[in-house]
Amino acid sequence: MSERISTASRPRALFDLYRTQARMAVARESQYRMRNVMSLIGFLTEPVVYLAVWTAVAQAKGGSVGGYTPGTLAAYFIAWTLVRNMNVVFTPYGFEWRIRSGEMSGQLLRPAHPIHYDLAYFAGWKVVWFTMWLPIAAALVLLFRPELHPEPVEIAVFAVAIWGAYLVRSLFQWLIGLITFFTTRVAALFEVYIVAELMLSGRLVPMALMPSWVQTVAGYLPFKWTFGFPIEALVGQLGTRTLLTGLGTQLLWIGIGSSLLALTWRAAVRRYSAVGN
Amino acid sequence: MRTLRLIALHLRVVAMYEMQYRVNFFLQLFQSLLATGTGLVVLALVYGQVDELNGWSRPELLVVLGVFTVLGGLVQAVIKPNVVQFMEEVADGTLDYVLAKPVDAQLLVSIRAVRFWQAVDILVGAIVMSVGAAQLRPGPGLLAVLGFLAALGFAAVIVYCFLLLLATTAFWFVRVDTFVESFDGIYQAGRWPVGIYPSWLRIGLTAVVPVGFAVTVPAQALTGQLSWPTLAGAAALAGTLAIVTRVCWRLGLRHYSGASS
Amino acid sequence: MGELAVHVAHLRRIFKVPEREAGLRESVRSLFHRRYREVRAVDGISFDIEPGEVVGFLGPNGAGKTTTLKMLSGLLHPTDGEVRVLGETPARRRREYLRRMSLVMGNRNQLQWDIPAADSFELNRAIYQVPWPEFRRTRDELVELLDLGDLVTKPVRNLSLGERMKVELAAALLHRPAVLFLDEPTLGLDITMQKRIRTFIAEYNVRHSASVLLTSHYMADVEALCQRVIIIDRGRILFDGDLATLATSLAAYKELDVTLAGSGADLSGYGEVRSRDGDRVTLRVPKAQTPLVTARLLADHTVLDLTVEDPPIEDVIELLFAAARPPA
Repeated sequence: MSERISTASRPRALFDLYRTQARMAVARESQYRMRNVMSLIGFLTEPVVYLAVWTAVAQAKGGSVGGYTPGTLAAYFIAWTLVRNMNVVFTPYGFEWRIRSGEMSGQLLRPAHPIHYDLAYFAGWKVVWFTMWLPIAAALVLLFRPELHPEPVEIAVFAVAIWGAYLVRSLFQWLIGLITFFTTRVAALFEVYIVAELMLSGRLVPMALMPSWVQTVAGYLPFKWTFGFPIEALVGQLGTRTLLTGLGTQLLWIGIGSSLLALTWRAAVRRYSAVGN
Repeated sequence: MRTLRLIALHLRVVAMYEMQYRVNFFLQLFQSLLATGTGLVVLALVYGQVDELNGWSRPELLVVLGVFTVLGGLVQAVIKPNVVQFMEEVADGTLDYVLAKPVDAQLLVSIRAVRFWQAVDILVGAIVMSVGAAQLRPGPGLLAVLGFLAALGFAAVIVYCFLLLLATTAFWFVRVDTFVESFDGIYQAGRWPVGIYPSWLRIGLTAVVPVGFAVTVPAQALTGQLSWPTLAGAAALAGTLAIVTRVCWRLGLRHYSGASS
Repeated sequence: MGELAVHVAHLRRIFKVPEREAGLRESVRSLFHRRYREVRAVDGISFDIEPGEVVGFLGPNGAGKTTTLKMLSGLLHPTDGEVRVLGETPARRRREYLRRMSLVMGNRNQLQWDIPAADSFELNRAIYQVPWPEFRRTRDELVELLDLGDLVTKPVRNLSLGERMKVELAAALLHRPAVLFLDEPTLGLDITMQKRIRTFIAEYNVRHSASVLLTSHYMADVEALCQRVIIIDRGRILFDGDLATLATSLAAYKELDVTLAGSGADLSGYGEVRSRDGDRVTLRVPKAQTPLVTARLLADHTVLDLTVEDPPIEDVIELLFAAARPPA
């Protein structure tokens, strides 16, 4: 196994794999335009609900809550929609299907680590979604009148950070998915992940509205780097230094995620071949 | 009363099957508590900032959360499993068997699949609702409780009809599972009283996807904010939707069997 | 009785299929103006089935078999023509009618996947309103006939394909239908299971004198069960009659099975050599010349064994289709 991985992870071969797989994803997902638009619209309820609630709170408090005005809240949750799209990755539930249908066996025969195919596919899919997201975002801007004055450096960091978020979330979701090899009750673990993400990432509410001890805890966990950080990079006033430290922390979590994944993967494959599905 | 007997029989069979998997009960309880816990945390965050949100006090919003959870449990336990099974059958052709049976097809399609343990949500929601109601000053009177029960019944009918209506489009378009999947997302808007939303959204959640309306009206009834015209409106909406759904179902069947082409 | 089990006259079913060319421009255009192509799935067929008769319905994929079965069971409305089953118009889907017929499709399951068949049986009892004593009697009879044993207490998903088909059949027959429509009931089953299902259908037909219309890809099914076959291709009936006479009346060939003493003789001068297995040769000979060729063979060679047979029914049907379709 390890031999195969190392041959294919030669940068050029890997780059070729990513390009081909991503292009395939674009071609394939472009065919399902209706379905993709529907799921994007499905994503909208969540931020619109949060936005409506906190706008109501801000107004009840005389115009702002935790430093956020209705205008900046709108900016926060519109940026949220893009980050949410970036955060769609291969779901842990999918692993059960892959194992049961035998697709996993096929994947193990491929020369590159299976996660590359997922990373590349979903990355390509994002391109399709991005084109569909633009008009939706335009509509949201007209409806909610966000206040947004990003500096060039913030835009640049945002553009990088959303891909960082994508990688961090992909790695950790894959990690949970791998647990499927050991137990059939992954759903519970996944739910816990989602709840933790809601509370600790800035998905449910901007972290500034959370009690300070929650903010401290969140600083030591990966969740915040998949939602709050990219959004605040664009919407907030973080300063160049914090922005760059943030990117560095994302990189750190990508490293931690990859290492954990590599370890678990080895054990999972051993388990898989022992059970012999 | 053959209909009721048929429903009871189906329920019994499914329940007997699901009883074997008691682990699912604990998993479901766990998920239910997680979801409700999240809802409570959000309420705590909001009421940490303000005492009243759009005229709703904290106990009143507990009632909303409870109704939301109860109705959501009903959707996940009974309505959605049936609707999903129906769509799958249209896609793979096994719906033919349903149509070949000497029972009303809409009835049969609506009672077959039940995810028994999902009903835990109904229980948890009822508890949240009761806790909220107990903190209300003054507490709800008999009339309020009756109004609440009626409104809850209408809400169930509204949600059932709406989902089946969505699914009925499968007769024409076959692959409509995304419509029904997106309902789950939209249903989340029911967590809050429709009043907090901007007006365009409030209209949407009342008239287009009536989930906001469905959840808010029973909660209003219990918290004593309900006017009788609103309750009558809910009754009218439930009745209209029931008729529209029936008509669309018939049309769909006619299309499916080629009577219309 | 007196009434026909099935009466079909000039039955026609036309589907409108949207036609779309490839390419973006065409897909955009099709949004506004859709062009339809008419497909005549069933194109004016007529036949009757007597009570108690077992009829085989044969034809290649897309010939219109399933469409016909669906019209007979009331799932599809005919475009044109007349259908009566047990004196009823199926498309009206009257409950009295639905209660007297049953439809089984080999490639589609009707039993609920995750509950034991016994429970599904009970649901069917309630749906078809079978009185308890009769239900118990029929169920026990079916369990015995199909050798179901404890299969009915296992969840359906744990059954093999063949076991599932047996249970499906039982579920479809609990209300003792007078007419049974079977669409590929043995599809994908192994030989033993195919035989088992066949024997059962024959037995059920004899016991309850139910009429059966059966489609199948397996000739063996039809040969074992049906005296009469209806052969359909591209929506039209090519042959309707006795299976035995099909071969004799339609085939212009006979097959000669010859075993010679000493191998190596070239028999291609006598007819078309279909196969050769050591000393045994199968020849195809025009029907009119069969006596002559037989005589010549016996005169010219030392023949150990010789039989004259009609060609296999598959070949006959193939000839029939070949004749009906103009060469491409």
